[in-house]
Amino acid sequence: MIEFKNVSKTYAGSNVTVVNDLTFEIPDGDICVLVGPSGCGKTTSMRMVNRLIEPTKGEILIDGQKNTSMSGTQLRRKIGYAIQQTGLFPHRTIADNIGTVPGLLGWDKDRIKSRADELLDLVGLPPNQYRDRYPAELSGGQQQRVGVARALAADPPIMLMDEPFGAVDPITRDRLQNEFLRIQEDIKKTIVFVTHDIDEAIKMGDKIAILKEGGILAQYDTPENILVNPASDFVQSFVGGDRVLKRLSLTRVGDVDLEPANGSGENLPRINEGWTLRDALSEIIGAGADRGVVVTDGESNGGSRGTITLDSIRKISHGAETPRG
Amino acid sequence: MDSAAGNADDPPAAVLAFLQDFGLQEDKGLIDWEWLGDNFTEDVVPALLQHIFLCAIALAIALVIAVPVGILCARYRWLYGPTTAITGFLYTIPSFAMFTFLLALGFSVGVMPAIIALILYSLLILIRNVVTGLDSVPAETIDAARGMGLTDRQILLGVELPLALPVIVAGMRIAVVTVIGVAVIGAYIGGGGLGELVFDGIDRDFPTLYITGAVLATLLAIAADLLFVRTERLLSPWSRRVRRAG
Ligand SMILES: Nc1ncnc2c1ncn2[C@@H]1O[C@H](COP(=O)(O)OP(=O)(O)OP(=O)(O)O)[C@@H](O)[C@H]1O
Ligand SMILES: [Mg+2]
Repeated sequence: MIEFKNVSKTYAGSNVTVVNDLTFEIPDGDICVLVGPSGCGKTTSMRMVNRLIEPTKGEILIDGQKNTSMSGTQLRRKIGYAIQQTGLFPHRTIADNIGTVPGLLGWDKDRIKSRADELLDLVGLPPNQYRDRYPAELSGGQQQRVGVARALAADPPIMLMDEPFGAVDPITRDRLQNEFLRIQEDIKKTIVFVTHDIDEAIKMGDKIAILKEGGILAQYDTPENILVNPASDFVQSFVGGDRVLKRLSLTRVGDVDLEPANGSGENLPRINEGWTLRDALSEIIGAGADRGVVVTDGESNGGSRGTITLDSIRKISHGAETPRG
Repeated sequence: MDSAAGNADDPPAAVLAFLQDFGLQEDKGLIDWEWLGDNFTEDVVPALLQHIFLCAIALAIALVIAVPVGILCARYRWLYGPTTAITGFLYTIPSFAMFTFLLALGFSVGVMPAIIALILYSLLILIRNVVTGLDSVPAETIDAARGMGLTDRQILLGVELPLALPVIVAGMRIAVVTVIGVAVIGAYIGGGGLGELVFDGIDRDFPTLYITGAVLATLLAIAADLLFVRTERLLSPWSRRVRRAG
């Protein structure tokens, strides 16, 4: 667990408070997304966790211990760190880059090597092909994968990620996000994830901390609650006018109660159970229908699990049902 | 066609005649090959080796000074201005004047003032390239290194210097060529080396000697330059592969 306790930051030589009295807790195994407009202090807040920046006031506890109870370098070796520009070492191979922290921790060579291969596999880069390349020989998306792999290398319980999927096109970003969520299901790290993109925050976060100008915590809650009950006008406008649609994108078709299929449904659109309700809504309306046939993941014909109606989607969007069962 | 062919034969003979006149060596030509053959191992080779030694020592010492000074200048930016001013001033002093000043400062004639002069000439280029090299390291690379728990020392030795190395070696390339040239003049104050052949040859009005000295100094400079180009590539396999890929 990570606890921010009345944390404030004013940079030396300036009298502007960029993080103001931040207090909140991040439970173990959760992704906590710090989101807010540019300059609101997200990066500053994140970097105070591993003491790349020292707070002016307040303290940060990790598992009940002050993060000042050990040296900064020792602390940082226990916390994964991934940033938007990746910061991969251009003069070291991909395998060596991934092996950085294990090397600092004194692992032996074979163990580092097999760990690097394991992580390359995990992030979808065949080790045989990639381990001996230099970072400049990879695409931007591949570099960001390696950046994440490197942060995971020593299996730290905590990860700090500053716009880790920021520098790639939307399609690649979407894929990287999905892959990371899949990985997180297994590894269950406690993650501080910084982004300025509310959609990414809603998608990635178990908890979202919305910061506003001056580093003030505007709301800290689950994505659902922030979408249903924005705490202020600021949150409401930051979240955007399509709150209802965003909420639908939190729920997968497979997670809602379906109606039994009646008839062949031959003319109805096919809805993959892995899709979000938002995708389903778009597909059904696009097909000019009022319902769709839900099919099992990976199959487009047959395997029908039932039908989903516009009516049921509307109900969920009004919060009549609690999805995510 | 005929006349063109005839002309083609002419110039070498004319040049030879001119060179003979110029060299005032009535029957032996500009270069006395016989003398060169007899004295090569005794006079020429030692002069060449001493020249290499002189330049290598000077460059090594200059590097030992320039790397820490460059690192300090990169860290504490205010040092860079004064450092550049001082080393830049040293660099502009004409070589003869430099040697004379050193003698005036009380150095006795010999290898010592020659090496010191060569060091002083190298400093500007070397320090500037150390700073440029360190500056060229991407800020996010250093941030990531710090964020993963590398100490300042590990960042400097394991990240910043290796990444700056190609630029530093590029500086050495320029410095070595400068130093090889200036070292020729160093013989004037007893520095020895190829310059000794040059000055001796001029004194004795013996072109074989000064031409040998000059040609060898030139070849040495070219060889050193090539060597450092090679080294530069060898030290940055990552950028070489990228160039090939792109
Ligand atoms: N080293 C520094 N010295 C002084 N001020 C700084 C420093 N770093 C950041 N700031 C200021 O602190 C404020 C918060 O910066 P921070 O980088 O935390 O914002 P951010 O929320 O991450 O923004 P972005 O989304 O643009 O990355 C900004 O106003 C910035 O100008
Ligand atoms: Mg930021």
